[in-house]
Amino acid sequence: MAADVGVKNKDARNTLLGFLGIAALVLVLLFVQSLATAEDPLRGVAKFNGALTLFAIWGIAAVSLNLINGTLGILSLGHHGFMLIGGYATGLLILSEDARNRILVSGRSTMTERTLGLSVHSWFESLGLDALTTDDTLWLRYLVAIVVGGLVAAFAGLIVGIPSLRLRGDYLAIVTFGFGEIIRLSASTRLFAPLTNGALGFPGVPQRFASDQLLWPFGLLALTVFVMAKLKYSSYGRAMEAIREDEIAAEAMGINLAYHKVLGFVIAAFFAGVAGGLWVSWLGGVRLDFFLFQLTFFFLVAISVGGTGSITGVLLGTALVVFIRQYGDPLEQSYAVSTWAQLVGVVFLIAAGAVIVYRSARRVRPRVHPVVYLLGTAALVAILLGLVAPSFDFWQETFRGFGMRAIFLSVLLIVIMIFRPSGIVGRSEFSWAWVFGERRDQPTEEERAQDAWLTNPELQRRLAGDEENLHSIDGDSKGES
Amino acid sequence: MAMLEIEGVNKAFGGLQAITSLDLRVEKGEIVSVIGPNGAGKTTLFNLITGVYRPDSGNIQFQGRSIVGKKPNQIVDLGVARTFQNLRLFTNLTVLDNVLIPQHHKLNSTWFSAVLKTPAYRRKEQEMREFALEKLSFFGPRLMSFRLYQPVYVLSYANRRRTEIARAMATGAKLLLLDEPSAGMNPKETTEITQIIRRMRDEGGYTILLVEHKMNLVGEISDRVVVLDYGEKIAEGAYQQVVNDPKVIEAYLGKRVDDDEGASPEEPGLPR
Ligand SMILES: Nc1ncnc2c1ncn2[C@@H]1O[C@H](COP(=O)(O)OP(=O)(O)O)[C@@H](O)[C@H]1O
Ligand SMILES: [Mg+2]
Repeated sequence: MAADVGVKNKDARNTLLGFLGIAALVLVLLFVQSLATAEDPLRGVAKFNGALTLFAIWGIAAVSLNLINGTLGILSLGHHGFMLIGGYATGLLILSEDARNRILVSGRSTMTERTLGLSVHSWFESLGLDALTTDDTLWLRYLVAIVVGGLVAAFAGLIVGIPSLRLRGDYLAIVTFGFGEIIRLSASTRLFAPLTNGALGFPGVPQRFASDQLLWPFGLLALTVFVMAKLKYSSYGRAMEAIREDEIAAEAMGINLAYHKVLGFVIAAFFAGVAGGLWVSWLGGVRLDFFLFQLTFFFLVAISVGGTGSITGVLLGTALVVFIRQYGDPLEQSYAVSTWAQLVGVVFLIAAGAVIVYRSARRVRPRVHPVVYLLGTAALVAILLGLVAPSFDFWQETFRGFGMRAIFLSVLLIVIMIFRPSGIVGRSEFSWAWVFGERRDQPTEEERAQDAWLTNPELQRRLAGDEENLHSIDGDSKGES
Repeated sequence: MAMLEIEGVNKAFGGLQAITSLDLRVEKGEIVSVIGPNGAGKTTLFNLITGVYRPDSGNIQFQGRSIVGKKPNQIVDLGVARTFQNLRLFTNLTVLDNVLIPQHHKLNSTWFSAVLKTPAYRRKEQEMREFALEKLSFFGPRLMSFRLYQPVYVLSYANRRRTEIARAMATGAKLLLLDEPSAGMNPKETTEITQIIRRMRDEGGYTILLVEHKMNLVGEISDRVVVLDYGEKIAEGAYQQVVNDPKVIEAYLGKRVDDDEGASPEEPGLPR
């Protein structure tokens, strides 16, 4: 009973620390936000809020993809397809009246009066809920549109989940990738053009929901994390993890593989649809190229870098990816070739240093691997060239590093996969018990002694006769301890 | 009505006849051992009963209902569970999780109430935990306290075998198929597992069909022994009767000669 009270106290402590931690994080973010405001009144704060919003939206998508990839153990590459469906549905349902009229009169559009009539606004009107059609209640219409978008995406998840019943591993990954692309490409076909406006897409999605306030993106992120965390630690989550660990054993233990795989796809697709709705609101419009495979790639990087299967890890990974995307633009500006040379030299030097540190920490010999000499020489040459450069014309030319951010992300992914394949946080979640070094899987002194006694036949023979041994294991072990 | 009734079951893999017109009855509360040389078809028999493979012909009935063509998870629902010869635990999950997972199929809460942690679901979760501890306690303190929270990959081989047996019990099945439960255990651990299997029947009320190579274990606990060779049943009966059967001796002696040839004690060509 004393142990029970201890557990309860620790739970209370962990909850308290959790709230304090989140509060501290919010304060830090507010502080940074105020710095951003001070430094550059307009761009600074907009950019910072943009980063936060992007984190929330991509966080929803990445955490939901993690249910399929991390918990269920199915590599799924079609998440941008689910986001597209949610995004288009939300966009259409919430489109402003102005934008609808402009599309109707433009003449180039493939949308009809009927499809343009699909809106939450008109639904509320026809229900006589005029109070909900004002500007003040846009958020409510948005919420409805986003939930509908999520539901449509979930239906797509149901359909994509079905091949997962017959296929495994790489084959299934290819099929999900195919589905993602089919969804994206069929959005521009004649069949769906009345709903999607074909390749044109449509602007005029009110932006207020996602970009002017952080409340909704973060509220929905919190909801996603809540659902995913509760699911993971429920019997259903355990069943899904069992499927990840060993499908044959899971089925032999009574788990209905089909049901749980499809369930995972449907729940994940729902939240991907929600993320798509927010994404569309953030961008202020709907277009096919808002939903490229690149999105899924970003989420996969976030998951792998942060920790596959770990929700806290995925959030950390998303923060990294978003940070590089939002604040990595210095990487893509134009610099003189000599500057690039020096930059490359410095990176090589850091890499060489990292190799030495890593090998010393792991006690690998030789500590200075031949590669280090190679890297060091290359770095010195590059830096020297950069220094003598001013006397040559070629070195004055500027060069712009297009795509450097994506390259940087990819290199980050490669480095993490080599040195820490389970991701930064790893498979398990961040937890306060872990911070305090409380591990339930470690024996107490007493238990350790008993365990040694149980597992060591020599000890057993000396401590008791063979007969008694059998008895203790036979049930009446009370007398032993 | 027998617990398990197998009639004229055949199974071939390509040209290889793994099981040939096999008949087998297991009554409620019995411990029946299946023995036979390697490749005799013992594991295949288990795979047929649990729905991993479908018999080419013949019938398999559990408690009077045919289970041919049912999926493995449906057969577990009906009350048949198994362990695997080559351990198939959920390696990265804890011992406790491994023993909670087989109870999932009995859960009648929806995923939604599991996420919302409704009082009914909480009660279920608590019950599942108690049931898991009850099954794990068959092995004394070996899998209890801190072991509950250890991932399976840190367990010793013998503890993994025990976890697999506890996991099969936790499905709530009435008939357990144990595929070489003592493989990889030392003599002491084998004696222990022998007692435990007996207690599983006496106290747990399980009916047990097991495959074993260790004859002292088989002799100690079996009510009946079935001998397979090349997929055919060559003998059936009490242990003493079966091991003295000339056909059985022949099947095993043929094997033993092979073994002696194969296991030369010194590696040739190695410098001393
Ligand atoms: N899936 C399979 N495909 C082809 N052959 C198989 C398969 N499973 C088992 N066999 C063959 O069936 C025979 C019986 O195997 P098994 O039941 O594993 O024997 P044991 O009695 O040692 O458990 C062996 O010859 C084996 O090679
Ligand atoms: Mg076998």
